[in-house]
Amino acid sequence: MKMLKYIAPIMILFLAACSGKLDRSIVPTPAAAPSINIGDYETFQLDNGLKVIVVQNQKLPRVSYQLTVDRDPLFEGEKAGYVSMAGSLMKTGTTTKSKSQIDESIDFIGANVSTYSNGMYGAALSKHSDKLLEVMSDILLNPTFPDDEIEKLRKQTLSGLASAKSSANDISGNLVQAMAFGTDHPYGERQTEKTTEAITRDDLMNYYKTFIRPNVSYLVIVGDIDMETAKSQANKYFGAWEKAEVPTFAYEKPSLPTGNRVCFVPLKGAVQSVIEVTHPVDITPGHPDAIAASVMNNILGGGVFGGRLMQNLREDKAFTYGARASFSTDEVAGRFGASASVRNEVTDSSVVEFLYEIDRMTRETVQDTSLQFIKNYMNGSFARSLESPQTIARFALNIERYNLPKDYYSKYLTKLEAVSTDDVLRVSKKYLKPENLNITVVGNREEVAEKLAQFTASGEVEFFDMYGNVYSELQAAPEGMTALDVFNKYYEAIGGVEAIGKVNSTIETGTMSVGPMTLEYEKKTKGDDKMLMSVKMGPQVFMKQIIDGPRGISEQMGTQVAMTDDELTEARMQLDMLSMLHLENYGMSAELKGIGQHNEQPVYVVDMMQDGKVVSTNYYDLASGLQVYSESTQETPQGDMTITTSIKNYIETQGVKFPSEISQVVGPQTIDVKLNEVQVNRRMSNGDFKID
Amino acid sequence: MQQILSKSVLLVAFACIGLTSLAQQRSIEFEEYDLKNGLHVILHEDHSTPIVAVTVMYHVGSKNENPERTGMAHFFEHLLFEGSENIGRGEFSRYVENAGGVLNANTTNDRTFYYEVLPSNQLELGLWLESERMLHAKVENEGIETQREVVKEEKRQRMDNQPYGNLLSETMSRVYNQHPYRWPVIGSMDHLNAANEADFIDFYKTFYVPNNAVLSISGDFDPKEIKKMIAQYFSGIPKGTPEVPRPTIVEPSKSQEVRDTILGKDQLPLVVQAYSIPAQGEPDFYAVDMLNQLLSGGESSRLNRAVVDEKQLALFCGAFSFPLEDPGVTLAFSMANMGVDPMQVEEAMNMEIEKVKNTLITEEELQKLKNQIESNFVSGNASVAGVAESLANYHMYLGDANLINTEVERYLKVTREDIMAAAKKYYGSENRVTLYFLFDEEAANESQN
Repeated sequence: MKMLKYIAPIMILFLAACSGKLDRSIVPTPAAAPSINIGDYETFQLDNGLKVIVVQNQKLPRVSYQLTVDRDPLFEGEKAGYVSMAGSLMKTGTTTKSKSQIDESIDFIGANVSTYSNGMYGAALSKHSDKLLEVMSDILLNPTFPDDEIEKLRKQTLSGLASAKSSANDISGNLVQAMAFGTDHPYGERQTEKTTEAITRDDLMNYYKTFIRPNVSYLVIVGDIDMETAKSQANKYFGAWEKAEVPTFAYEKPSLPTGNRVCFVPLKGAVQSVIEVTHPVDITPGHPDAIAASVMNNILGGGVFGGRLMQNLREDKAFTYGARASFSTDEVAGRFGASASVRNEVTDSSVVEFLYEIDRMTRETVQDTSLQFIKNYMNGSFARSLESPQTIARFALNIERYNLPKDYYSKYLTKLEAVSTDDVLRVSKKYLKPENLNITVVGNREEVAEKLAQFTASGEVEFFDMYGNVYSELQAAPEGMTALDVFNKYYEAIGGVEAIGKVNSTIETGTMSVGPMTLEYEKKTKGDDKMLMSVKMGPQVFMKQIIDGPRGISEQMGTQVAMTDDELTEARMQLDMLSMLHLENYGMSAELKGIGQHNEQPVYVVDMMQDGKVVSTNYYDLASGLQVYSESTQETPQGDMTITTSIKNYIETQGVKFPSEISQVVGPQTIDVKLNEVQVNRRMSNGDFKID
Repeated sequence: MQQILSKSVLLVAFACIGLTSLAQQRSIEFEEYDLKNGLHVILHEDHSTPIVAVTVMYHVGSKNENPERTGMAHFFEHLLFEGSENIGRGEFSRYVENAGGVLNANTTNDRTFYYEVLPSNQLELGLWLESERMLHAKVENEGIETQREVVKEEKRQRMDNQPYGNLLSETMSRVYNQHPYRWPVIGSMDHLNAANEADFIDFYKTFYVPNNAVLSISGDFDPKEIKKMIAQYFSGIPKGTPEVPRPTIVEPSKSQEVRDTILGKDQLPLVVQAYSIPAQGEPDFYAVDMLNQLLSGGESSRLNRAVVDEKQLALFCGAFSFPLEDPGVTLAFSMANMGVDPMQVEEAMNMEIEKVKNTLITEEELQKLKNQIESNFVSGNASVAGVAESLANYHMYLGDANLINTEVERYLKVTREDIMAAAKKYYGSENRVTLYFLFDEEAANESQN
């Protein structure tokens, strides 16, 4: 090794001396591969069982502390989501400090701290390490999970879930996990609106008290620190952490499907299909096959552009912008997946190519040059990753946690170099299951689904909802029942046609909130052609809409715009409290599609149509008759957007019920409308609706 | 290399605080020298990881362009991946990837920067590639045509189709009336279309010469070997003959505030205030930078606390110095919450600046700023590529690469009085451009086409 180092430059000098000039057409050859020296680490244990790993690195005067709670994965069931909520909220309040005090003390020393379900991370200049640890120790030992922070996060989570409903990628993420692992497995279960609503402060506290314990945890300290300081800091800031028995859980290995299946989540109006072909794999971190399997995955479609899936589906066929494969090792359950987003019309052709490439991996030996290219790539990535001391910390943690040989990572490159083309074929045959695939697709049911039946062993495409539950097809409505019957039932439920007919004017007051903003609104209506709505922020009116007979305007920040005919028609229809009894007056019609499910309750599903096109789908609760949900599509400059509206809690005034909590989701944004009060038939002058 | 420009532009606009990097306690050792052809070489040895960053910084950015040919500097950043006399088209990146390395480049108003991070045994490959680029890159019609399309696509994707992608160009064109900072780095597509092969060759011969470049290498190498290799690959590259032109225009100071409204497709109102400030390295620059840190560094900073948390007027706020070689700007901005009048947001921002002018910040706040600055400096030196770039920057702009070790002291010397004085001197309305970016349906529809 040493010799080679000197020979190379001598050769260069020699060449230069001979030719007198550099031959620039010759691509330089690499010198001998450098030996890679992976930094060492030391460990010790506190009396409470906390295992501490110390990676000393004096390059920069910084130090970081990462705490990892190594508990078993948890099946959260009806409260799915509480574990991650507990993690996020740990730094939002302690018995002695508010969130803003915690933020201030972190900013003051130029540090950063984050918390998550199975631990926390903090980093700062080493001279501030004690101050940093004071904050981290307080967060760890005395979290309070303040109610207002719980509600804030719950709201954000609900908005996120609502916007995920229209995101093909988010749905695909859910579907893939649910199909590969099953919805009764911790990796396959999903957080829903219902489970999010069910989470209480006690759940968070119980999780914290039961699982956040030192005897199942690792503290990894990395950076500018000596062993003596590490020991005294660990004792001082984490020594008081009390140990306790932490329950353990075992799960059955997820099973492979008996033959290939297609799992489809319909997404209205989708122009692309998100495809992922997946199955669970049984391979633990550090398994003797792990490196060869990783090579296999990279050849098929890992990080490099040269992966087979990318070359085939993008470069050759132009079906997609990108196609990739992934392969994860895990103590409980690993997973293989290959995915791409493709145009509707090539969805079936793309599946053909995925199946071909996966199958080919298990049949053909790869070429030496392709294998070498992947090795070079992996070699370089590995070397570059070592620049960050956090990589060394991760290696150390893996060695301790998964009980790997101490030299696992220092031998990594040697083992990588030893992977042969035969090894790649062997692990492909062992781990890839071209006959037992979950072919998951999120997309346009009408345009795409039918053509996928050919790939299934059963001959049938299976349909699911966005959480991976079996999709409940609409049941037929009772013989002879029509949309009009549903509407009549609805009007009955909100007070009856007679009582509604007596409503001549209304004054509604309430609030609208968007993100952190809350605005007040007032809406007055009179007869079927007068309306005034104003939205205020503080004392200032920032939006106003007026309809007065044939005219209508909207005004925003002082700019007035006349309403179009279409907008006027729509607004008039809203003013007509019995509009659904004579839809034809508004150029609309309705059709009862059947009985479906909404939030696990049976509902009538009614499509509203205009010019033969469905403009919205409305859900009426079977038991109460009340409308609970609707979905509509609106054209916007950004393309068609789906708007979903959830309706809850009707309030009654003079025998008529009005919806009081309406939550509307448009793209990533949620608007919550809360009706506080309705007054009916108050005297009102026509002058109130005058347009200036 | 398609993705590079906007990354650099946005980064500079929003993230960079001019504090590229610097370890305060442990100094970065390096040596530097010039080759006979004027190429400045900076070497920083670091054997902790067997990798090496080979970087070349050319002292040419959009400010060196002919006002009738804007966009040339950035265009070259694309063109110079097309290959050379010995490197076929498209092979540049393949050599690097095949060696297990990564490469990239970016362009700013002041300079163009190319780099490869390679396993250290591939050092020579990096030197070969960069010397080919400097000596005889392919500047030919075929590559020019291809890259014209790529750059247009980049402009669409990264600026036209990006929320508030016009922020910088609209702001800079009002802050500067005469100085070449007035046009955007990506330049004009019409100018690029009008440029002919001779224009490109002329640009290459003028700016891509060793006497206008810094070769900065950081990582695992043997200092003796590397010097021989550098001599091999770079000393034969001829020195540029024409004088490297540099703009001498001094932007006159403004006599009154410039205000304007920009209509576009972005939904939420954005309020932007741009203040003219000294060039990086000037004594007052440090106080201004600290002032910006006070306004927007961290969750507990003044703008965040007042405008975002307490008054809930904005989704987020920021104030950053745009570090430039010639006198630069501070960009302060707030994205208003849905339904909030931008005037209210502007008032709230002004109120925070007035506070700094009228009341000294507390000792504790000053200490917080110093702590944050120090932490940023230290973290900036975590990678060999970062160190190589910082060394080149300090040499190119301030003529002293050792500022990588000493610049932080200039920050730590700033007093509470200096910050108040900087606010008074530079953050007055007459020294300001104020822009409202507002949603407009018509503009939104147009941008769809």
